[in-house]
Amino acid sequence: MNPSIASPDYNAMSDEDFRREVRAFFEREYPPRLRYILHRARWHDMKDWWRKLYEKGWIAPNWPRERGGMALDAGKMVIYLEEMERHGVARPPDQGITQVGPLIMRFGTREQQEHYLPRTLSGEYIWCQGYSEPNAGSDLAGLQTAAVLEGEHFVVNGQKIWTSLADDATHIYLLVRTGKGAKKQQGISFLLVDLKTPGITLRPIRNLAGHEEFCQVFFDDVRVPRANLVGELDDGWTVAKALLGFERLSIGSPRRPAYALNRLEAVARAKGLLEDPGFLDRFIALKLDIEDGAALYGRFVEQVKRGEPLGPDVSMLKIWTMETWQRLTDLLIEAGAEQGVVAGVHDVAGVEADFLTPFYYARPATIYGGSSEIQRNILAKTVLKLPG
Amino acid sequence: MTGDPSSTAAEHRGPLRASVADYVARGTDLARVRRLRGTSTEYERTAWQKMAELGWLGILVPERYGGLGLGLAEMAIVARGLARALVPEPLTATAVLAATALAAAENEPLKREQLPRLAAGDVLPALAWQEEAGELDPAAIETRATPFEGGFKLNGVKRFIAGAAQADAFIVSARAAGGVVLLWLPRDAAGAQLELEPLADGRSFATLRLDDTLVPRSGVAASGAAALEALGRAFDHGCAIAGAELAGVMERSLEMSLDYLKTRVQFGKPIGSFQALQHRAVDLHIHQELASAVLEEALGVLDRGPAAPARAAAASRVKARCADAAARITREAIQLHGAIGFTDEFDAGLYLKRALVLTAWLGSASWHRRRYARLVSGALA
Repeated sequence: MNPSIASPDYNAMSDEDFRREVRAFFEREYPPRLRYILHRARWHDMKDWWRKLYEKGWIAPNWPRERGGMALDAGKMVIYLEEMERHGVARPPDQGITQVGPLIMRFGTREQQEHYLPRTLSGEYIWCQGYSEPNAGSDLAGLQTAAVLEGEHFVVNGQKIWTSLADDATHIYLLVRTGKGAKKQQGISFLLVDLKTPGITLRPIRNLAGHEEFCQVFFDDVRVPRANLVGELDDGWTVAKALLGFERLSIGSPRRPAYALNRLEAVARAKGLLEDPGFLDRFIALKLDIEDGAALYGRFVEQVKRGEPLGPDVSMLKIWTMETWQRLTDLLIEAGAEQGVVAGVHDVAGVEADFLTPFYYARPATIYGGSSEIQRNILAKTVLKLPG
Repeated sequence: MTGDPSSTAAEHRGPLRASVADYVARGTDLARVRRLRGTSTEYERTAWQKMAELGWLGILVPERYGGLGLGLAEMAIVARGLARALVPEPLTATAVLAATALAAAENEPLKREQLPRLAAGDVLPALAWQEEAGELDPAAIETRATPFEGGFKLNGVKRFIAGAAQADAFIVSARAAGGVVLLWLPRDAAGAQLELEPLADGRSFATLRLDDTLVPRSGVAASGAAALEALGRAFDHGCAIAGAELAGVMERSLEMSLDYLKTRVQFGKPIGSFQALQHRAVDLHIHQELASAVLEEALGVLDRGPAAPARAAAASRVKARCADAAARITREAIQLHGAIGFTDEFDAGLYLKRALVLTAWLGSASWHRRRYARLVSGALA
C-alpha cells in the first residue's frame, strides 16, 4: 500500500512554490543518466524512479488523494508536466496511472477499484493498451477481436497491434467486440486482462529506430473473468472516449521537439551553418514555428487553468507541434550531412548529437494518438462545421 | 510604458469591441471601399472625424495630451476590427506610427499643440521615415538637415509614406551634423513636393521630395538618441498593429472561404464535404489561430514597455507570423473560390490585395524573421 502519509493539499500552494518544490525534487532525485532519453523508457530503467515517486506520493499527480494521488488541479498539473519536460524526466510505463486508473475510478466496480488501483499505484501492475488492430487503426471502431460470454467468462480471440511496451506490462486493457449494433461504436466492451492468462502470445515488433517498443498481442481462446468487464456490456466505447482532452494537450506540448531544436541550434553553430543565409532562413522559421506554437499551447493551458474543458479545437495543437517536430528533425539530418545518417551519438566539433534517433521518433508522431489526417477531419467537422 | 496594462485599460476592451463592431456594421461597407480605391483622396475625412469622436485616434496618445493613454492591446482591437471591413482610413499610419513617434518626442510645446489635434482628428500627420525599398533601419537616412536660422533646411527624398494622401503634416527623419533629427513639417511647406504611387489595395504610398525645405526650431520634435528611439518605437508598434490588421483581414477572408465551401455545390454536394478541401481549410484555420495567439502574446509583452531589443523581437514575431498567415489565407481564398475568386466584382480579391500591401509595408515576413534571429541570439546572424 501507499505509505499512509496524507498527501498535502498541493492546490493550496502558490504556483511558484509548487513549481519550486517539484523542480527541486526532480533535480535532486531523478537519475541523470535517464534525462532526455530519446526512446520510450523501459520498466527496468524506470522502476527505481517509480518507487521513489510512489514513496513520495507523487506517482499519480492526476489521482484523488484518497486513492494515493496528488489530486492536482489542471493548473498545477500543467506545472508538474512542464517541470518534467524541463528537466528531461521520462515518462515511465504509466498507462495505468494516466489511462486505465482514471477509467476504473469512473466506470469500475468497487471490487475492481479495490483490487486494481492500489496495485497499479505501487507498480505491481503495469498496464498496456490493447486498442489498435491490424484492420482497426484510425478506424478504431472497426475492431474485430471478439469476446464471447460463456458462463462467467469471456472467451477472447483475435489480435491487437502497436501495443506499446506490452513486454514490460503485466496487464492489458482491451477494447473487444461483444455484440453488433446499428453503429460500429456499439457492441464494443472494455476488459481488463492479466497478460499471464493462458492463450496470450506477445510478438515484439522492431521499429524504424531499431527498438522493440511495441508488440503484437495474440489472443487464442483466452478466458477472462466476467468480473473484469469495466462499464456496461457493449458500452466500452463510452469508457474509452472518456479520456481524450487533456491527453491531446500534453501530446501537443511544444517542449516535445525541444531536444531536436536544441541539438539543431548547437550543431548549426558548431558547424558555422548559421552563416549560410539559406540555412539560417529555414532554421529561424522553424524556431519561430516552435515558439509561436508555444503561444497557441499557452492559450489552451490558460483555458485548462480557468477550469474550462478543452474542446475539439485542441487537435490543432497536436497537428502543428508534431508536424513542426518532423520538419525540425528533417533539417537536423540535413545539418548532420554524412554524419546525419550514421547511427549513434556524434561529436560534432565538441557538440554531442544523435541525428537519426530524433528523426525516427518524430515519424510516428503524426500517426499515434489520432493521425494528423484524422485530427484534420475532426477539426473540419466539429470546429469549422464543414459538411460531412 | 506604452499604456496601462492594468485592469483599467482592460476595462476599455469590451466597449471598444462593441463600438468597432457597430461602426463596421453601420458606418462603412465594401461599396465605400470600392468607391475610394484608386482615388487621389483615398479615404474620407468624415470617416476620420467619426473615428476621432469614438476616441480611437487617441488610444495611444497620453491623457495629458488629450488622448486615452491606453495600450497596443486596445489599439489592436480597433485595427483588427476595422481591417475586417478593409477600412481605408490610415489608422496605423497616423494613430500608431505618427502618434507614437510624436508622443516619444522631446519638444513639449509641439506635443502639447499637435497631439490633442491628432487625437481629435483635426490634424492628420504621416511619418516620413523610409528612403529605400527594403531598408528598414530607421537610422538609414540620406536626407540632410543643415542648420538654418535656428532651425533646419531639408534636402532629400522620403519614400513609401503611408496615409499621405490627405495628410496635413509629415514627421520627417533627417540626418544633421549632430545625429538624427525628427521634424514636424506642414504639408504646404515651401520646397516639399508630394507624389502618390498607387498600391495594390487602391491606397497609395507617397514620395516626399524636399528641396531646401525650411523647418523652424519650433518644428524640431526630437534629436539624437531620442529621435532614434522615437522612430524605433514607432516602427515596432506599427509592426504590431499592422499584424493586428493582418489578423482582421485573414479572419474575414477565411470566413468567406468557409461560407463558400458550405454553400457551393458541385458533383451534387457542397464542395466543403470533400476531404482535400476540408484539410486545406483546417490548415488555414491553424495558421489563423497561431497568428492570433502570437499577436495576443506579443501585445501583452509590448504593453509592459520592454527594452528596445525585446520590443523589436516581439514586434517582429507578430509581423512575420501574421504576414505569412494572411498571405496564405488570402491566396488560398482565390483557389477555394475558383474562377469567381479571380473577378474584380467578388470581394476575395480585395482581401488578397490588402494583405499584400500590409505584408510588404514595414518589412516582409522573411525580413522580420532575420531581425528576430539577430535579436534573440547575437551569434545567430
